Amino acid sequence: MKQYQDPELQELAERLASDDAGLRRVAVLDLVDCPEPEAVELLIQALNDADPLVRQEAAKVVDEFESAQMADALIAALNDSDEVVRNAAAHALSDLKDPAAAAPLLAALQESRDPFVVAGILRALKPLRDADAREPARARLDHADPRVRREAVAVLGWLKEDANLPMLIERARDDVDPEVRRAAVGALVYADAAAVAEALNGIVTDEHWQVRAEAINSIGKLDHQQGLDLLITASRDTTWQVREKAADAIGKLRRVEGVPALGECCRDPMSNVRKATIGALGAIADEQCRPYIETALDDPDPDVRKLARWAQSRLSAA
Amino acid sequence: MPLANHHTSVPVLVDEEKCIADKGCTVCIDVCPLDVLWIDETTGKAHMKYDECWYCMPCEADCPTDAVTVNIPYLLR
Amino acid sequence: MNIEDLTIIDTDVLVIGGGTAGPMAAVTVKENNPKLDVILLEKANVKRSGAISMGMDGLNNAIVPGHATPEQYVREITIANDGIVDQPALMAYAQRSFPMIEKLDAWGVHFQKDETGDYDMKKVHHLGTYVLPMPEGHNVKKILYRRLRRHRVKVENRYQATRLLKDTEGNIAGMIGVNTRTGEPIIIRAKAVIMATGAAGRIGLPHSGYLFGTYENPANSGDGHAMAYHAGADLANLECYQVNPLLKDYNGPACAYVTGPLGGFTSNAFGERFIECDYWSGQMMLEFFKELESGKGPVFLKLDHLAEETIQEIETVLHTNERPSRGRFHDGRHTNYRQQMVEMHISEIGFCSGHSASGVWVDETGATTVPGLYGAGDMASVPHNYMLGAFVYGQICGESAAAFASERGEINLDRHLIDQELVRLRAPLERQDGIPPEQMEYKVRRLVNDYLQPPKVTRRMEIGLERILAVREDLKLLKANDAHELMRAMEVHSIVDCAEMAARASLYRTESRWGLYHYRVDHPDTDEQRWFCHSRLYKDDNGNMAHGTRPVAPYIVSLGEEKDAYNQLRVKQAANA
Repeated sequence: MKQYQDPELQELAERLASDDAGLRRVAVLDLVDCPEPEAVELLIQALNDADPLVRQEAAKVVDEFESAQMADALIAALNDSDEVVRNAAAHALSDLKDPAAAAPLLAALQESRDPFVVAGILRALKPLRDADAREPARARLDHADPRVRREAVAVLGWLKEDANLPMLIERARDDVDPEVRRAAVGALVYADAAAVAEALNGIVTDEHWQVRAEAINSIGKLDHQQGLDLLITASRDTTWQVREKAADAIGKLRRVEGVPALGECCRDPMSNVRKATIGALGAIADEQCRPYIETALDDPDPDVRKLARWAQSRLSAA
Repeated sequence: MPLANHHTSVPVLVDEEKCIADKGCTVCIDVCPLDVLWIDETTGKAHMKYDECWYCMPCEADCPTDAVTVNIPYLLR
Repeated sequence: MNIEDLTIIDTDVLVIGGGTAGPMAAVTVKENNPKLDVILLEKANVKRSGAISMGMDGLNNAIVPGHATPEQYVREITIANDGIVDQPALMAYAQRSFPMIEKLDAWGVHFQKDETGDYDMKKVHHLGTYVLPMPEGHNVKKILYRRLRRHRVKVENRYQATRLLKDTEGNIAGMIGVNTRTGEPIIIRAKAVIMATGAAGRIGLPHSGYLFGTYENPANSGDGHAMAYHAGADLANLECYQVNPLLKDYNGPACAYVTGPLGGFTSNAFGERFIECDYWSGQMMLEFFKELESGKGPVFLKLDHLAEETIQEIETVLHTNERPSRGRFHDGRHTNYRQQMVEMHISEIGFCSGHSASGVWVDETGATTVPGLYGAGDMASVPHNYMLGAFVYGQICGESAAAFASERGEINLDRHLIDQELVRLRAPLERQDGIPPEQMEYKVRRLVNDYLQPPKVTRRMEIGLERILAVREDLKLLKANDAHELMRAMEVHSIVDCAEMAARASLYRTESRWGLYHYRVDHPDTDEQRWFCHSRLYKDDNGNMAHGTRPVAPYIVSLGEEKDAYNQLRVKQAANA
């Protein structure tokens, strides 16, 4: 057993070597309070303890330590037989914001097969925005497990590289899992609107409302002017959340041609939709908006009335 | 002014079978913002000594053995 | 026992309170000057203390480039506070808001990001975009703790500070307090002190009658407000109470900032929105109060129109963050967001700058009116600071205190004050019988509800003040059986101080302002002529509670058209009321 200079650390080391797993477990809990950098070594030792309860305890406190120092141990813990340990390790890994962690993560990715582990490593790679993650992420876009595909999409989304757009579009359009499609269409916002225009045509009619809402949101964020007709169609969607996003996005594009569709939305039974609509009319601030805005001054919903007053002030300023 | 005893039903329950306070664990006692959990000297286990609970949950969330349950105090339930 | 029997601990900077602002202040001192000794004193345990013990579900006041500007923010908070703000202090927050988000992000705090890694800002109001969700914000305290260890800040848990110490020249000199487990007194001599003691959240009594079922973490009993007062610091605008909308009985926040961006809203009994005011303000709370009392009341959180996927998302966030036991509360009453609206109410009163504007006066450097004493977070006077403001002012105070401490020479403690305090600390344990702290606390907080809760009526508040002063006379009868009860007894002293301050400050400002927060039924109008100023409350040279005014510093951001827009909303509201 290694000897430590610091008496507190030495005491903890001795307790961690106890035959009683219960005592080892409590020692792990106390490890958190130790400011010595070498405490990490003892934590790594605990992550490899024979007793799963001790490993769980260690895994639960990994995020209290600077995880960069224990990237290897955490990656190894992703393969632990205990689910609590694997989960905690995956979470701690995603907090690694040290660029130097990219290399060990990529090496581990190559050797990992378990979808949970693969997804955990991809999630940890995402915020590092390391270009070397591009190929491994691309290679996993058609992985059998949707959790892996979702994280692969996120890695490419954060990289913001034009070359990855065709693959993201494919995921957004064709993936069987709605969450993967939603994430992928959300990732398209870094593109040039023209590059993704055609793809968005299909996605705004996705069967799942959250995918449609995300696609509409992306059209607004991209300022995709050619997408106006898609938004007008979406403003009559059967799901109010989609109509709400569509009205909002028409406002973002600031297009007078959208005013008649917004006029219809002003009569929407759902006040959240009317609220977004008046906000959009205020953003467009064209004379054609005036009758709708004036009617909304007497809307039963005070949020709609507030926005109508604001929209009216935009009209008089215009 | 003489004092009377008065009883209240407390919101935090500790499962003595699961509690490992006797192994030196003091997690729930440490994290309580109101310092209402103490070791029961007869059993060596944690218990709620003062009915002064914010039902904030760190004692339950941080307990290594899931021995602690936080109920909503009766007056609020 | 007297001062000769006690060891005096020396440090360069003392931080009192280890919740949100305190750890940031302590870490900042070390980042600025690693050679300085820092002690972080905490009544509970820094791992899980303060308002964010279980994390936070979002930022309400994030000023992120491309979504809002510091000028826009300063303008809006000025309007929300009816003009009574110190704009330089607001601007100091506004300019540091984004760098602080970046710092916390680098430390590992999880903010919501879109699929390309940009901050996923949410627009809740039409005037600015300030909401940044934190659906995985439960680890904030862990991250702060990690930083404290990394910088080797000395943490002293389970110590209650009871009085600030000064030197013979009137500068701050440290504090005296007591160990909450042993009852042993402790004296810390410090070259600079930062107070981060949180809100005064235990002044009023929750409607449930449960003393600890408060809106704020009940450990925040106003000790800092009381200590600052007794040290001679100015307190500002205490009549501008905190009154918040909340889930009835549970008394936790309704989290409009979580549910709002997802389509949920505050409604009346008919499922209709009713709030006209666009700012989180006393005006909004007045509308809430009126609806609550009207034929359309009570008030509800309405989520039952949302999609199943959205409800699940809301449940995950609300039941794992900030006040996670709310799920259990709803289960107990068979309340399901999918089918039922959730009954809401208003909170008991408190002092909390995080949500309103009252507290120990600080300027844009975090300095109080006592040299060497700084204040951050819910206890200091910078309005609408919320969590991010506590971090920013923790940082500002850390920088200021580090500079002050580095310049400071030897300190001569004022021993008379220490001897006096040792007597006060010992008394409840030495008494053979008397009044238990719980009983006296219940009484004074019940008086606060009966006499000081708005709408405020002059004669009623005068009677309340008399009754509170009568309880003050009883403080000498407090009886504690152990160290824990001694802590509660000392908290009762703070609560009585705060209750008296609330009454006197409310009586002093003879107008109505800040909507419900200072709604005086017999002075219903806002008097810009006489009262466009901060009110001061302080201890005068004779030891009496005194008042004064402080002019509002010239605006650095003009209100322009927005002010007119706000007045328009006001007029409309008045017509409806």
